[in-house]
Amino acid sequence: MLLNGRILQLPHTLCVALSLLVAGTGAACAQSAATPAGAASRAAPAVTVAGVDFVKSFGGIDEYRLASNGLAILLAPDHSAPVITFQVTYRVGSRNEVTGTTGATHILEHMMFKGSEGYNDAKGNSVKQYLEHIGGQYNANTSVDRTTYFATIGRDNLDGYIAIEADRMRRLLLRESDRQAEMTVVRNEYERGKNDPDELLSEAVNAAAFVALPYHHPTIGWLSDIEHVPIEKLRAFYDTFYWPNNATVTVVGDLDAAATLAMIRKYYGGYAHSPSAIPEIYTEEPAQRGGRRVVVKRPGDLGAVLIAHKVPNGRDADQPALEMLDAILSSGKSARLYRALVDQGLALNAGSGTELHRDLSLHTLFAQLAPGATHEIVEKALLAELNKIKTEGVSVAEIDRVRQQYIAADAYRRDGTAAVASELNEWIAVGDWTLYSSFPEQVERVTPADVQRVARKYFDEDQSTTGWFIPVATQAEHGS
Amino acid sequence: MSRYYALIGMLFAAMSASAGMAEHAQRSQVAGIDLVTYTTGAKNVVVIVGALPAGDAFAGAGNASIPTLTGMMLDRGTRAMDQFAIAQQLENVGAEISFGVGNQSLEIRAKCLTKDLPLVIGIIASELRMPALSAQEFAKAKQQFMGMLESSLQSTEARSQEGFARAVFPPGHPNRPHTLEEFLAAAKAATLDEVKAFHAKNYGPAHLTLVLAGDVSNAHVAEEVGKAFAGWSGGHDYLAAAPELKPGVPEVKVPLEDKTSVSVIIGQATGLRYKDPDALALRVGTAALGRGFTGRLMSTVRDKEGLTYGIGAEVTEDSLTGGAWELSASFAPKLLERGIESSRREVLTWWKDGITERELSQRKQGMVGGYFVGLSTTGGVANTILNAIQRGYDLQWLDAYPKAVEALSLSEVNAAIKTHLNPATMVLVEAGSIPASAQPAAK
Repeated sequence: MLLNGRILQLPHTLCVALSLLVAGTGAACAQSAATPAGAASRAAPAVTVAGVDFVKSFGGIDEYRLASNGLAILLAPDHSAPVITFQVTYRVGSRNEVTGTTGATHILEHMMFKGSEGYNDAKGNSVKQYLEHIGGQYNANTSVDRTTYFATIGRDNLDGYIAIEADRMRRLLLRESDRQAEMTVVRNEYERGKNDPDELLSEAVNAAAFVALPYHHPTIGWLSDIEHVPIEKLRAFYDTFYWPNNATVTVVGDLDAAATLAMIRKYYGGYAHSPSAIPEIYTEEPAQRGGRRVVVKRPGDLGAVLIAHKVPNGRDADQPALEMLDAILSSGKSARLYRALVDQGLALNAGSGTELHRDLSLHTLFAQLAPGATHEIVEKALLAELNKIKTEGVSVAEIDRVRQQYIAADAYRRDGTAAVASELNEWIAVGDWTLYSSFPEQVERVTPADVQRVARKYFDEDQSTTGWFIPVATQAEHGS
Repeated sequence: MSRYYALIGMLFAAMSASAGMAEHAQRSQVAGIDLVTYTTGAKNVVVIVGALPAGDAFAGAGNASIPTLTGMMLDRGTRAMDQFAIAQQLENVGAEISFGVGNQSLEIRAKCLTKDLPLVIGIIASELRMPALSAQEFAKAKQQFMGMLESSLQSTEARSQEGFARAVFPPGHPNRPHTLEEFLAAAKAATLDEVKAFHAKNYGPAHLTLVLAGDVSNAHVAEEVGKAFAGWSGGHDYLAAAPELKPGVPEVKVPLEDKTSVSVIIGQATGLRYKDPDALALRVGTAALGRGFTGRLMSTVRDKEGLTYGIGAEVTEDSLTGGAWELSASFAPKLLERGIESSRREVLTWWKDGITERELSQRKQGMVGGYFVGLSTTGGVANTILNAIQRGYDLQWLDAYPKAVEALSLSEVNAAIKTHLNPATMVLVEAGSIPASAQPAAK
């Protein structure tokens, strides 16, 4: 039997296929690490390639932009192994959807594997065929703020992959026959997710916590929208958001900077800037006037409690202190929630974290109830730990412990190109990739006073949304 | 030279090594432990993986929950330090150690900075050799284990896997699990004395393998392991013998209420170990059917027919003893019959007609290419080495594997499929809210 208990994850990141684990933003941030001193430098381009403008260097990563269309490019060289991770992040997610098109971003992600004009199954050169023949590790995923396509491949295969990735940016086939077949695939993905009580609970809490912002609806969408969204709306979505000036290409690994930039220019450089400006979200969340509660019931054996508070966007200066607070609450056996809930036999697991968003983020405290524990007691215990930080603060020793973990994590994350690209992806999504390097540094500078201040500022009961998953007896257990 | 051999050449060059992985690895017996070290290009990081024959199968006729409960007690304090003191030492340097219990193995995983290796090796040794096994922590571990089991009772994936393994592996087979209900009853009845006895009988250096990969020096590691494990004895080999396979029940249904997706497995035991002749050929042939988007199952049942989000086929549980072949998928209840029908159709065609030369060529390329991409992280290297050892190979296999894949012929692959599988007798397992029309007729 596996020893590790379930970790509740908010269901905002969806994959086109099963095989790849994708960390949600909160999880990625919890693992993010101290960074090399990376003062921004604008003066010295790493290489010069015609048609490619140097923007800046930060933390060992160089940013460029295609002059012809505004495509953002990040290069992160790492020559420890002859592999490269190539990733394209489109700055469109379920936050860009409205009633009737919920889930469209994610369906479009699936449709991106149905072939483009130059690369498709009929030609025998589709993205799937190419990457599987070369043994690439690849996938795509959608979250609230972005859609991402990526592969880790041998360095000699980079040119072939960029060609395919660039082709599907603007030359996707998007056929109705493919939509019909893929709709049922996505519907099964939806159904699989709904098997999981944790996902049901977090979906209900999100829907209650966000009233106006589109974070209200799940990234996979409402079932009726998944089933009925017409191909014309998917086409309109594609033609609105899939443009070079709404995308960032990230290349991590054993790369030659000049050659890589030349390849990117060769395949993406022919596209124009989007004909219209990429639409901005102008909706703001109205002030919350009192705590909210939701209950989800279904057959099961163990309950769960989730307490959410809205906190600022992922770029906000208070996020490092919230990150430190979460590590003190949740990271390892020394963490406060482990000692107060798991070690006391109230919960099988307990944790806290923030899913960082481009707009308002959501901080959650959660616990899966141990057999015999009640929702009331577990909720009270979770809140008690939060209140202790508000009233008594945290110790310097706790801060030091987390700081050391960040320093080690910095070394860990340099082992493997895919992990670096994945974490950069999440910072691109919240709107500032340089936080990949600067956020850990900011976390390391957090003081006990900072942690207490943000706890007092954001964790007000009137601003909370609390969800309970209550397992109900099955018909068999009722004896019917 | 194929592009992959060029890639492996570059990989080793990047690791500042010589001809191949085997020459790059150092394997030795230290304090009775099979120790392997491998230096990668990673800076300041070490990944440790290990395995010890103390998994669920070693419960034998005794309480089924004891191997897992013993594994759960390892990080709950040693005779020298309580669990929080240990956690603090590890967390203060950002190091991580975890244990898991599988069918046959206690699995060890850790990572740390190179400078902290002595501390981490010392703690792993203490936790394996001298766990505190206190009554108070045992009560907590039992409660936690029972909670995890109760949670799994509602998982369609867990229930289908349990149903499949019990259908194809006969009583006494190391791969045959107890039911979740049996585990629950066993956990309730478990005693600390049983855990102590299990630990004394099963934990020891004999057949313990430790692999350390990353920024390591073999001499340094050997010295630290030698110090930390000096004087430890005991342990035993894995269970290789297995009872004769017999045709099982044709169908297993696990009804679960209010589930929107049904987990399905179609398969059989093969009796083949990974190292057996034909096993690699069966793996390559299975990849053409059920691996990735371009495998036949995904390209037809998902892409063309739109019946499922995920479907695949693989050979499983064959490292230490004869394993199984299984197709797994999920279907909405109302698409269940069509999904099963399509899955069976694809398996039958694949089995009858075999794969094509083109499929074979593509699968070989993909598997070899994926092997090398997998070796580009320290964790990937460590896991590959441990897998090879558990499968009964020496380290030469690390270099021989790509060549063995490349050498397979179409006739070998198709013969392996025909010889070792029989779609007519495969078991069908469904777990979830199974519609009445998919229920077996009353007998």
